[in-house]
Order: sequence, then structure tokens, then C-alpha cells
Amino acid sequence: MAYYARKIGFYVVALWAAVTLNFLIPRLMPGNPVDTLMAKLAQRGGAVDPSVRRAYALMLGTNDGQSLPQQYFGYLGNLLHGEFGISVSEFPAKVSDVIMQSLPWTVVLVGVATVISFVLGVGLGAVVGWKRGSWLDTLVPATTVLAAVPYFWLALILVALFASALGWFPLNGGYDVTLTPGFDADFLSSAVYHAALPALTIVISSVGGWLLGMRNMMVSAGSEDYVLTAQAKGLRDARVMIRYAARNAVLPSVAGFAISLGFVVSGSIVTEQVFSYPGIGSKLLQAVQNNDYALMQGVFLVITVAVLGANLVVDLLYGLLDARTRVSH
Amino acid sequence: MNLLLPRWSAKLGVGLGLVLAIALFGLVAPLFAGDPDAIRDIGMTPPGGGHLLGTTQTGQDVFAQLAAATRGSLQIGLLVGLMATLLSGAFGIVGGYVGSVVDELFSLFTNVMLVIPGLPLVIVIAGFVPPEQRGSWTIAIVLAVTGWAASARVLRAQTLSLRNRDYVAAAKVADEKTWRIVVVEILPNLAPLLASQFVFSVLLAILSEAGLSFVGLGSSNASTLGTMLYYAQNGFALQRGAWWWFVPPGLLIALFGCGLSLINFSIDEIINPRLRSAAARSGATRIEPDAPAVRPAPDAVLTVRDLTVVYGTHAAAVRNVSMTLRRGEILGLAGESGCGKTTLAYAVNRLHRPPAEVASGSVLFHDRDGATVDVLRLSPEQLRAFRWTKLSMVFQGAMNSLNPVTPVGRQLDDVLRTHRPRLRREERRARCVEVLRLVGIDPERLGSYAHELSGGMRQRVMIAMALLLDPQVMIMDEPTTALDVVVQREILRQLLRFRDELGFAVLLITHDLPLLLEISDHIAVMRDGEIVEYGAADDIRTAARHPYSQQLLRSFPSLTESAVGGVQ
Repeated sequence: MAYYARKIGFYVVALWAAVTLNFLIPRLMPGNPVDTLMAKLAQRGGAVDPSVRRAYALMLGTNDGQSLPQQYFGYLGNLLHGEFGISVSEFPAKVSDVIMQSLPWTVVLVGVATVISFVLGVGLGAVVGWKRGSWLDTLVPATTVLAAVPYFWLALILVALFASALGWFPLNGGYDVTLTPGFDADFLSSAVYHAALPALTIVISSVGGWLLGMRNMMVSAGSEDYVLTAQAKGLRDARVMIRYAARNAVLPSVAGFAISLGFVVSGSIVTEQVFSYPGIGSKLLQAVQNNDYALMQGVFLVITVAVLGANLVVDLLYGLLDARTRVSH
Repeated sequence: MNLLLPRWSAKLGVGLGLVLAIALFGLVAPLFAGDPDAIRDIGMTPPGGGHLLGTTQTGQDVFAQLAAATRGSLQIGLLVGLMATLLSGAFGIVGGYVGSVVDELFSLFTNVMLVIPGLPLVIVIAGFVPPEQRGSWTIAIVLAVTGWAASARVLRAQTLSLRNRDYVAAAKVADEKTWRIVVVEILPNLAPLLASQFVFSVLLAILSEAGLSFVGLGSSNASTLGTMLYYAQNGFALQRGAWWWFVPPGLLIALFGCGLSLINFSIDEIINPRLRSAAARSGATRIEPDAPAVRPAPDAVLTVRDLTVVYGTHAAAVRNVSMTLRRGEILGLAGESGCGKTTLAYAVNRLHRPPAEVASGSVLFHDRDGATVDVLRLSPEQLRAFRWTKLSMVFQGAMNSLNPVTPVGRQLDDVLRTHRPRLRREERRARCVEVLRLVGIDPERLGSYAHELSGGMRQRVMIAMALLLDPQVMIMDEPTTALDVVVQREILRQLLRFRDELGFAVLLITHDLPLLLEISDHIAVMRDGEIVEYGAADDIRTAARHPYSQQLLRSFPSLTESAVGGVQ
């Protein structure tokens, strides 16, 4: 139990740090983002409602004479209500609505691609590490090239090859725009079809990291006493590999999931840009290009919360995988 | 210091070659490639003619741009790599060395920085900086500040383990100053790790910078491979099929990254030498198909004849060893560590690992039903079926012989599932309970994990496991070495009882000659891979012939009085 309490405590601290960082960054940076936003809003013909200005001010900092702690608590209060203000790049939509629309696209795309990549990388890594000395070892240097390829460049190449030249996949977008979004077969299959190349980009770019890590841990696990014992017991090779070596070797990959997920999320933001994917990464870049600070802040928070949540789930899972963590120290 | 230098290998060669070639390109090519920004009226010309890599939309020479951009990316990469490594050193090494509250705070901070996704944070920070103020230094600082955490965690873990080494403790006792200990004792040992973290930081920085520039948030006054791709994307290079514009920059990043990773491989192999050697199949033999037939002793259960085990091209670890294990006896194998006794034990069951190889000899198992099994000639599948059913083992590292992440019951059950596939679940469980009761362990413990058992209990679980299939031979390699004397005695007493009741033969390997004299029927003394003395225990006690056995016997005081507290 102590393990779980410690983990949950850590993520509460991390969440607080992210929220506070989000509060401090605009206040530490040069310029006056609130005025920029209000000016943009006025251009768009938006009503310059004092409450709108107040929401922006709490988020981005102001010289209205409020003290910093007052602003901080006002900001926290707004976050609790999901109040991020109005997006100027998608005026008059609220930031929270823009986020709610784009978030599912990214969660599904990155989630599914990460699971595929993890399973594939760890599986291949286990086999390569176990069959060390065979031709499979030549896979190892090849994966380093993949791991070093920038996500967005790989996306460009895939688009050039499979969309432009061969025409197998759509060039961009998240679904066929002639369809209405909904849970019907036409729309879903169109969404899957459009997600294929972005997902492939993420899988190819991230699979090498999992593979290498797992391979190295398999090599180490191969010389453990419990693996030797399992072999002496006359167990089948596949069973020794999976239940004894890989079962232990996978633990560092799971423990290091947070680091890898950070890279994947970073990579997929730029990948979404290449595919004009209707996800949250595209929204973040759209916000940056249009000085839509409110949307930018909102998206950053949501991405961070999602990543923290995913890591928390993985950490809790780790507790199930390794009984030793459940020992109270 | 030679140990800290990477060993030359093909990987290292290719890696260094790639990195040096690209670095040289970035250094030298901008000098002669011409002005990267010169605009001509020959937009989007394919490679060839005057332009080695063609031109951009506005007629700029792609080769000249590539040269300038490579230089820009390398500069930022190195700058960020240095800063990030310094930061990670400051948090990881200092925190790990100082310990206590500082370490707690530093590592909490590091872990928080680690779980907050890097690029979104960089994008948000860069988004608030007006473009005209976004210089190379700003970008480099932002990338360094957001990219040091993973390295800090690695460095901290290594520092923690170094801190507890003897030479560091000695320096502390000698009252050396903290900074001196860190610089003189800790840093040199962290050098390979620091190098690999630096390489990793440079790679990460180049990739992140490229991503940032690609979305238009890069530094406004520098041209890098990322900005080049940004202009290619905005100039519709992709849509217009101008592959010569967007392929080279990305390829250069990928190749440079690949080169750095290959260098990192070589560094990793210094840190963890186990990654280095290429392994072949374990249990390898070089036995001729028609060795001369061996006539076994009538009551033998295991006959080893002229067995020689070599390690690659080195001298043989086991040389022409012959011995006979009789049904139900205890044969003791004594010798100091490194004499080849463990190699011999493993080779008998073909568990030896590369580069060990059986060069010659034979191992014959004589079954109860009269059949003879030629162990060295079994096919892999036959060998697998033979193991544990006929011959089980209890290992030296019994403390680590249990899989730490599965309950012990599952590990007992595994044996029955594999070798007795017809047993039903309840029958398997009943058998597991039975053997645990035999060794005096509460069957409740089937659900326990290794870390929940004491050393003596773990060893008894291993013995229970070895009994599961009612084997005819049990090889025990230093089964009680790591246990305290009381537990040792108790376990050996149990072993003798099982031997009497169940009738298996034991090959007991230990450096503890007095113990062997007490409990074994025959004793073989091994030295430098050879058996130098072999006979009945009583004969060796009273009339050892070989000078080495005599020396061994003399080295144990009060042996003849049997002061060790009788086992039987």
C-alpha cells in the first residue's frame, strides 16, 4: 500500500508543479499577452466583456494591481471549473470546447500507436536478446537509425511515398470530410484509414527504443541464476524465455515508460502537424502561430495531465508486475 | 584508464565514421559551398548540373543550404548537450553523493521534470518569446532546461552505487574534502556514463531543435536542418515532388543520430560488459559420433568418462575427468574455487554456457529400468525431457535461483506442467504441497514470493523442487554455502534422510572437505581441472595419497576429532 500511496503522492506533486509552471511561464516572459488577446478578440468582433478579460488575466498575468497569490488562487479556481477563456483562433469557441473536440483524436491515435509499438518493440527485443549471436543481432544497428529519425521527417517521407506517389493512403486529415462524425461504420473506418500513416510514423519512430532497451535487459537476464535453474528444470525454451527471462527483463521498460512516453507525445505533436490531423497537437501549434495564448495554455495543461495520468496507470501496473514493490520499507 | 576506452569494433568504427564525416561536412563545406541564401530564377531544379542537390523554390542551392544548416544544428546540439550534461551532473551526481534531504528534493525535482512532456513545454515557452528575441542561445537554454532530467536519473543511480564502494569510504575516513572525493574518486568512474549521457543529450537536442524549427518556433537568427525542413514544407516541396529538398536534411539527422547511437553502444558495452560477447547455444559439444563404448560399473547411475571442457581457445577448465556415481550414494567433489568443479557439474547436465564447450568424453546415465542414456548425444528436445526427470540440481546461487516476480508455487507447478502434462491441476497442487511438507515448509508458502522467504527456506524450496519428479540423481553445487551453520546442518540432515528414503544419488560439490568426510561415501578431490584423488571417504580421511589432498586435510584443524558436530 505504501508503494501506491507514494506513487499517487508523487503525481499530485507533479500535477501541482505543472499547473504552477503553466501559471508562471507567461508571467516570466516578456510582452503582455492579455492585451494581445484582447486586441485580437476586438478584431474578430468579440464582445469585450470584462469577465473574458478577467479569465485571460488570471491565466496569463496582468498588471491590474492584483497580487500574485490572489491571481494564483483565482487561476486555480478557474482551472477547477475548466474555465480557460475563449479561443481567439477559433472564435467564438471556448478553449475547453476546442480541447474536448480534439483530445479524443490524439488520445486514440497516440494511445493505440504506443501500445502497438510497446508490444512490438518489447516482443522483438526479447527474442533478439534471447537468441543473441544469431542473425537477429543485425537488427540492432538498424533500429538505431529508426530511433534517430525525426518523427516529422519520417511522416513527410511516408506521405511522399504512400500518399502522394502510390495513393494508398489519404494525404492528410482525420476523416473523410464528406462524412458526419459519429459512431457508425463509415465514419469509423474512414477515421482508421486516415490514422494509419500517422500511427505508422509513431510506431516506426518509437519501436527502436523499446527494442533496444528490452534486448539489453534480456541479455542481462539471460545470465541470471533463475534462468539457469529454469533451463535445468527442463522447461521448454519458449517458456523459459517468456516466464523467466522476459518477465523480469520487461520491468525496466515499464519503469522507464514515463521517459519514452514523453518522447512519443513530443514526436506526435509535430507529426499531427504534417498530417493536419485534427488532434490536440495541431491545436497547440495553431494556437502558437496565432498567439492564441489561452488555447496554448489549456492544451499544454491537458497534454500534461494526460501524460501524468498515463504514467500513473503504468506505475500502478508496475506494482502488480513486481511483488517486491509492495513490500513496505 | 585503458579499461575506460571503448574496444574497437565495427559498430564503433561505423559510428565514429558517420559522426566525423558529418561534423567535417558541417565544418568545412560552408566554406566552399557558396552563399546558401542567394536567390536565382531557377526554382525547384532537380539535382545535377551546377547544383549538386538541386535548388529550392526560390532557386537557392540546396547543397549550400545543407552545409550551413548542418553547421547550425551541430552548434546547437553541442551547446545544449554541454549544458544539459552539466545540469544533469549537478542534480544527479551531487544529489546522489550528498544524499538525505538534498537527494530527496533533487530526485523529486528530477522526476517531476521527467514526467512533464518536454516538447509541449518547450513550445509553450518558445511561444511566449517574441520571434525577434528568439536567438540561438534562448532556444539552447530552453532545450537544456527541459532536457536534462533523464540523464540526471541515470547518473544519480550510478553515483549512489559508487558512493558505497570501499575506496570512497576510505577517502571519507581519511577526511578528504567532499569536492575532492567527487572529483577524484567519483567522476572518473562516472566518465563512461557521462560520455554516453552527453552523446544522448546532443542527439536529443538536435532532434528537438529540428522539431521546434519545423513548426516555426526555432531560433530566428540561425539556419538549422529543422528550419530547412520548415521552409521545404512551406514551399510545398512535398506536394511538388521536390524530394531533393526535404530528403537530405532529415537523412543527415538520421545518420548523425545513428552514428551517435552506435558510439553509445560501444560505451554501453564498457559499462555493462555482458552486452559485449556474442553468445552461441548453450550446452555445446564437439563429440564424435562413434566414441568407444564404456562398460559401466554394475550399480552405477551416472558414469563420466574422460570428460574435457574447454573455454573457447583457452586451456581446458575440466580435463579428462572420470568418475562413477553409484545408486543411492553421496559422491563428494571437493576443491578450491576456480578448480573446475562447477563447470564439471554443469557439463554433466549440459548446462554449460558459451564459450564453454565439451571437447571430448562421455556422460552416461543408467536408468532404473536398465536403459542407458548418452547425455552428450541427446537432441535438444530429448535433453530437455531428460533434465529434472532423471537428474535434478540445486545450485550454488540458490538465493537467486527463484524467479523474483512469480510465486514459488508457480515455479514448482511449472515443472509438473512440463514433465507431467497429464496431471490435473489439483493433482499437481497436491504434489507441490507434498514436497513442501517433506522439507518442512508450510504449504501456505506456495503463494509466497522469494523475497518473502528466508535464505534457509528458499534453499529448502529449491530442494523440494528438485524432489518433485523423484529423480535418480541430484547434483548439489555448494547448496549450503550462504547459510548459517545451524541451517546448514539442518538442511544436510534432511538431505541424508531423503537419500535414505527416496534412494537417489547425490553429487555434492563443495569446498568444505570436513563436511564431505562426514557425509559422503566417496570423495573426489579436484585441482586445476583434474581429479587428483578419488576414493572412499574413509580412505581419504586416513590415507590421502596426493600431496594436495593432504594439504587440504591439514588446513582444517581438529578434523579427526570431528568437532563440527556430527550430522548423522
